[in-house]
Amino acid sequence: MKIAVYRLLFLAALIGLWWLASTQVARNLVPSPLATLQAAQRLIAEGRLGTALFDSLSIYLGGYTVAIFLGVPLGLLMGTIRPLGKTLEIFVYALSATPRVAFIPLIIVFLGLGPQAKILIIFLGAVMPILINTYAGALNSDQDLVEMARSVGAKRQRIFTQIVLPGAVPFIIVGLRVGATIGLINTVVAELYTAVKGLGGLLAIYGNTFRMAEYFVVVLTLALVGVVVTEALRFVEIRLGRWRRSEVIV
Amino acid sequence: MIGDAPQHTGLADSEAPAPRILLRGVSKTFGNQNNGGGTLALANVDLTVRDGAFVSLLGPSGCGKTTILRMVNGLIAPDAGTITVSGQAPRPGPDMGFVFQSFRLIPWSSVRGNVEFALVETIPGKAERRARADRYIELVGLSRFADAYPSELSGGMKQRVALARALASEPAILLLDEPFASIDAQTRELMQIELMRLWTLRKSVALFVTHSVDEAILLSDQIVLMGPRPGRVLEVIDVGLNRPRWTYDVRAEPRFIELRSYLWDRIRTLVLTDPQSDFYGRDLSANI
Repeated sequence: MKIAVYRLLFLAALIGLWWLASTQVARNLVPSPLATLQAAQRLIAEGRLGTALFDSLSIYLGGYTVAIFLGVPLGLLMGTIRPLGKTLEIFVYALSATPRVAFIPLIIVFLGLGPQAKILIIFLGAVMPILINTYAGALNSDQDLVEMARSVGAKRQRIFTQIVLPGAVPFIIVGLRVGATIGLINTVVAELYTAVKGLGGLLAIYGNTFRMAEYFVVVLTLALVGVVVTEALRFVEIRLGRWRRSEVIV
Repeated sequence: MIGDAPQHTGLADSEAPAPRILLRGVSKTFGNQNNGGGTLALANVDLTVRDGAFVSLLGPSGCGKTTILRMVNGLIAPDAGTITVSGQAPRPGPDMGFVFQSFRLIPWSSVRGNVEFALVETIPGKAERRARADRYIELVGLSRFADAYPSELSGGMKQRVALARALASEPAILLLDEPFASIDAQTRELMQIELMRLWTLRKSVALFVTHSVDEAILLSDQIVLMGPRPGRVLEVIDVGLNRPRWTYDVRAEPRFIELRSYLWDRIRTLVLTDPQSDFYGRDLSANI
């Protein structure tokens, strides 16, 4: 409870600073909180914000979901089948070190400017942290526990589902959280570089025309999406980690 | 004389029960053997454990005691020699219960879940499995904690859970790897009595690894004294103290005192003549 109060106080201080900045910076580059609120009401009433949010969320969740469904199983496979992991890991690390933005022209050539291209760009950003963290989690499985399971006669499949997989969960959640953030960043990047749509599209339009109040509304919406997604994942993490009595941070 | 030259057969009684665990000429090397590296953990070990016997493997660290347990369980295979358990090649499973020094409880499972984990192969029915787990949790006195997670338990309680898990499948063989080494002294004494009680209730073969002389004498029918580098069996000694041993002061018995001073002497010599030991070549009898 105390933390909630502190957070609200900090938020009030941030808005205060923002307001101060809006009065000090010339040429309306920083809109006042009030002007931003009015712009938000306008955008919502016109339905522009809703449409853009829906566009962005649908490609974001599309790309992110594909990343989860490919990244987690592949990471687990690489972690449990050692030759596979050792073969692939160097390529995975190479790809994750390459700025995925570099692929955008190529993606546009193959997939055009539509949602497929956007989903692929988001996928490429989100899948790497998910894959690498899941892999690390599976590699990090407690060998003592695995031996204990073997000694009671547990089969490979049961050792995997009851020892290796639960042991990797904290790592997987970290991967999902980082992947969610990078996925959101790539959503905006995709909307800026391909067909200008969604929240990224609004950013481009309002940024280029110096409509800063509307611009701020879009930025704050993106921040809000980020908070909602990471908080949801944290909730999952706490639910799954109830056995870790001492480390739960509420 | 307490123990003559190595007599690996243990009880020389022709009416003794059949051997449950049999090791013949067993050797094991760890590490890379191809380029002459690697360490010889066990060299040419013979060991016979008869049915219903409580046998301790006693010796300083580095004499391959744990390696023997893991091979008897079938977790690792010997490089040379043969091992038979109940007349067959060793295979991990519910017929053997393993108690590890580091407890090895599943942290995300409750106490009950941990005990049930060892029963999945033997008891398919969920309700039945749960009933069996609860029975053994009660036997080690942890009924109140059946739903607790391992992180909420003390070291002694964790080891009781591990004991319940090993006993719950009602194995013919109990393998215990220094189970009380990481428990404080008072709890350890209580746990030793607890183990003797449980073992008396349902006599299985117990193979108990320890480096505590007192613990070995207190618990065992036979003590297998082992030496380090390479690990080998030096001598097998019959303890010959009356059971149950928690009804009288075993430590005051002349036989206990005699055995203890003899074993201490042997182990001290082993440690002082082991070049790998911290105490190698030191004269511990000299005045300060």
